[in-house]
Amino acid sequence: MFAEHAIGVASDIGIMSLLALSAYLMLLVGRISFGQQAFFGIGAYVSGIASAMTHWPLTLAVFTGMLVGALASFLVALPTMHLSGFRYAVATFAFGEMVRLGLQSWHFQQETSDGPIGPAGVDGFRDIRWLLENDVSPAQYLMMIAIVLALILFIFGWLERRKSGVALRMTGHDDVLAATQGLPVTRLRLFAATAAGALAALGGGLYAHRATYIEPALFDPMLGVHAVGYALIGGLGTCFGPLLGVVFDLGLLEATRIFAGWRMVVFGLLVALFLRWRPRGLLDEALVHRLAQAYRAWSNASR
Amino acid sequence: MSARFVLLFCLSLCNVAHAEARVKLNLQCVSFGDGPVLECIVQLQTAKDAPLSGAMVTLNAHMPAMPMAHGVKPSAAIATNQPGEYRGQLHLEMPGVWAIQVDVSSPKRDRLVRRLLVEPCEKDKRCVAKATTSKPGNP
Repeated sequence: MFAEHAIGVASDIGIMSLLALSAYLMLLVGRISFGQQAFFGIGAYVSGIASAMTHWPLTLAVFTGMLVGALASFLVALPTMHLSGFRYAVATFAFGEMVRLGLQSWHFQQETSDGPIGPAGVDGFRDIRWLLENDVSPAQYLMMIAIVLALILFIFGWLERRKSGVALRMTGHDDVLAATQGLPVTRLRLFAATAAGALAALGGGLYAHRATYIEPALFDPMLGVHAVGYALIGGLGTCFGPLLGVVFDLGLLEATRIFAGWRMVVFGLLVALFLRWRPRGLLDEALVHRLAQAYRAWSNASR
Repeated sequence: MSARFVLLFCLSLCNVAHAEARVKLNLQCVSFGDGPVLECIVQLQTAKDAPLSGAMVTLNAHMPAMPMAHGVKPSAAIATNQPGEYRGQLHLEMPGVWAIQVDVSSPKRDRLVRRLLVEPCEKDKRCVAKATTSKPGNP
């Protein structure tokens, strides 16, 4: 029983890390998005429909969810990206609520021998059973999530060392300065928003298949706020920052139940404290730089 | 990484899900005490309406309004004297709408989810947790 619970928590950490990375990507380019849960939900519903209703293979279903999430994020970013930080946050929050309320009214079911299947408004979308029908165990699915997450982290690590990664970070630090340096600020932000939408939708697709049941209430603003909170607590200096935030919240506070029902309160307090005293999180740019220097010094000394 | 996982990953590229006969579930729960505690009677049937005895059943729950938060520790449901019937308890963190997850791991893996409204219950009372569906036809 404990092993099953641990595998479940680890899978949640992996899935939530993808959502946290999507919020992190937006924070990198200087935009706080409270709407990433909408793309998570879009990915969950689209991939659920693809695998449960049209019987597509898992990878294709999740990839389709990713594509639709990326497209939706691009279309939202197109008219909103020129808004200032606060207004952008409100706009994404409003979009998130629009999607959630839209899903509450959306009925798209088909009859099967086991009853109706598909999105049923507030009653949710049950029986996304690809893993059960193909006999994929929770441990095997956890491995799949880990592989996907490792791949995403590898891409992040590769991107952050390239000029384009530096350009993204510059855009977030000072967009006016970045523009005077000749960087295409709007295009970079559109790219970041599209990629962030795809990442969130990827997480949603993986979540839908793990849970087998999704409903609009899952994609409420609390999820988006948590995603931003993970990135802010973990740190914006490296792509491992959001993972640290997720592990801290889901792995320590939630799994061990140190604070039981007070976990949300503790998490909110932590976000407030971090914003006051460590606004770029635990693993901020300065600490990452110091750690990299220490590692270089240690590797030089050991030669 | 073992070849098995690589094979599984490749399999997911081309393997198409196929409909299988489902396990049928009748779930009745009552809440009581602090937390509250949710006690559930799980009745399982095969697709041909025969009681599903000898199954390994695990109960779990999460709050849809707080995804991946307020999860509870899964608990095994023990078979009762009635064929196809199992009884288990979940220690919830608060009243509200909970998605109760019934996992059947043997003889065939399955997962069935029901949304229940768990209301606060007065001391020493047992309150029925009601299904929350907008349509009577939905399980």
